[in-house]
Amino acid sequence: MTLLAFVILLTAVTVGYVINLRAARAIRDGGTRMHSLESFHGGYAALMTLVPTFFLIIIWMLFQGTVIELIVKSGISDQLEGLGTGETQLVMAEIRSIAGGRIFGTPEQWKLDAAERLVALRGLSGWLLVAVTAALATTMLYVSRRTVSSEFRARQGVERIVHVLMAGCATVAIFVTIGIVASLLFETFRFFQMVPFWDFLLGTNWEPQIPIREDQVAAEGAFGMLPVFLGTLVIAFVAMVIATPIGLLSAIYLHEFASNRIRGVVKPVLEVLAGVPTVVYGFFAILVIAPAIRSFGTDLGLPIASNTALAAGSVMGIMLIPFISSFADDALGAVPRSLRDGSLAVGATQAETMLKVLFPAAIPGIVGGILLAISRAIGETMIVVMAAGLIAKMTINPLDSVTTVTVQIVTLLIGDTAFDSPKTLAAFALGMVLFLMTLCINILALRIVRKYREIYD
Amino acid sequence: MTMFDVTKPETAVDQTDIKIAASNVQVFYGDTQAIKDVDVDIQDKTVTAFIGPSGCGKSTFLRCLNRMNDTIDSCRVEGRILLDEQDIYAPQVDPVQLRAKVGMVFQKPNPFPKSIYDNVAYGPKIHGMARTKGELDEVVEKSLRRAALWEEVKDRLDTPGTGLSGGQQQRLCIARAVATRPEVLLMDEPCSALDPIATAQVEELIDELKQRFSVVIVTHSMQQAARVSQKTAFFHLGNLVEYDDTNTIFTNPQDPRTESYITGRIG
Repeated sequence: MTLLAFVILLTAVTVGYVINLRAARAIRDGGTRMHSLESFHGGYAALMTLVPTFFLIIIWMLFQGTVIELIVKSGISDQLEGLGTGETQLVMAEIRSIAGGRIFGTPEQWKLDAAERLVALRGLSGWLLVAVTAALATTMLYVSRRTVSSEFRARQGVERIVHVLMAGCATVAIFVTIGIVASLLFETFRFFQMVPFWDFLLGTNWEPQIPIREDQVAAEGAFGMLPVFLGTLVIAFVAMVIATPIGLLSAIYLHEFASNRIRGVVKPVLEVLAGVPTVVYGFFAILVIAPAIRSFGTDLGLPIASNTALAAGSVMGIMLIPFISSFADDALGAVPRSLRDGSLAVGATQAETMLKVLFPAAIPGIVGGILLAISRAIGETMIVVMAAGLIAKMTINPLDSVTTVTVQIVTLLIGDTAFDSPKTLAAFALGMVLFLMTLCINILALRIVRKYREIYD
Repeated sequence: MTMFDVTKPETAVDQTDIKIAASNVQVFYGDTQAIKDVDVDIQDKTVTAFIGPSGCGKSTFLRCLNRMNDTIDSCRVEGRILLDEQDIYAPQVDPVQLRAKVGMVFQKPNPFPKSIYDNVAYGPKIHGMARTKGELDEVVEKSLRRAALWEEVKDRLDTPGTGLSGGQQQRLCIARAVATRPEVLLMDEPCSALDPIATAQVEELIDELKQRFSVVIVTHSMQQAARVSQKTAFFHLGNLVEYDDTNTIFTNPQDPRTESYITGRIG
């Protein structure tokens, strides 16, 4: 039925376009000068039909389930009386599955009746949708056909509608972000009802093993985020120490010194590097880097953990090289050529020009890129899940095994989880910490970029 | 008025040395030839103007004189250009050294995003021309005075050069170019982005600069060429059509194409 509604919609849109186009053409051929081109008259009809009808169908689809269930429920209110929310939901689920043809055991007659009613209502709703769609589309077709005249400003009309649509698209992202933050906040708030805020923020002990069931034997959990946070910082630091110089130098080389042939080979390779799935980087860390570091350590007589922060961090650094290098390349490319010429014309070498003119002028973009890379390093999950440790340790030694915020979120949410235990809710608190960290870094990045812009432009 | 009774006060100082001698110069961008067989002798302590319609190759030729064309990959230069009888395209010549000797000012003012002081001190610092801070200060002040900018900026040398007005920026670029003590100053339409007042200031400055340098200026404006230059070269479609004293070019051109251009029929 929904499909049919969409077919009607599409047909109406096409018909509206053609009718108005023809009507406008007829007026023009009659010798009158039109304000708008004929195609705008057509487009106006198409949009006037499309937008309201489309939203009607979407809203209908969103709410028809809820409305139908409310009607069914009110029909069996006698039987539901005295039941709690959970039990009511169970009954409704059973009715739904009966309606879907999956009958278990022998349900009571009233349930069967309700299911039958549900099926009937669904069918009715489908036909009603088709009817309403057709009616609305026809009305809009009529309304827009009436507007066709030589003075009607169809172009402005089309522009206004498209304007509103674009503004809508722009706000979708904002509202989704607000929604995500709100849900995160809500769960975090629940967590802090169970675990004191300061214990979480300043605790140096992270042991989220708590009993999930009443009768389970387990230690009393400790939720101090500092060691986890520190582990994230250590790994991100290692990653940036590797990614920043290599990324910047490769960008400078490719932008200023490499011949066209070398650039033609190296740039695509770097871009391929950017497209490697992080899982593959994880394999690389486990199979190549970690054993290499450990055997190197044993040769030196150092005790080195098998999943060191160094291994995870350096592979993450490799992942970030193309990221930083492409940002730096863009920033250098945005420096006007006239500055380069001006420097070369006073007899500066290419290296001096790069070091003293191009690089300083590109710094805002480069710093912005580096900070975004830090955000990514902090939020990166897959590599550390595979290559970093699980035990939280208060250490800044990159040769030790540390864990990160993202790793802990994953382990907390894997397996048998109850959404009312601090163990699970701790994941949301950690997520909130992660979100706030990257938010601060991004704000800082924006501020730095803006500050340097003021000086340089 | 015949060509014999024109008075030419500028030619009185005509007997100066030849600073740049270009012969048989050809420039190619990939397969297209931008400059064909150009021969020009540019005199010392003189303002030489290159005029001609857009795309005639005058800027391209100017950029040959300090080998700025080297920075364009597809560009190839043939022929001989001698600066003080030394071939600037000879393999032992370092273009970096050459550009310190042959300064350049561009069409659009292009001060670096640095302070006024650092803009002027950029060249001297790179070439190690000042050993102490005091010497550097002196070079900066002298260059800014030569560019007729000192009085306007002496109290704000540490503010960004990009914050100056367009005319001031262009004079700052001239100060930056003269700070490396060049012998030749190339100017690629230096006034095309400036308003009439700033243009007048820069033109006055060019007149003073010719005391010390050989100045080569590319310009779109024939009035400007007539005002500031002693010698004028007219380029058309990559050819050097005519090269003579400015007065002769503007009052008594030998080539019909030159005459058409200066009377406004082509261009």
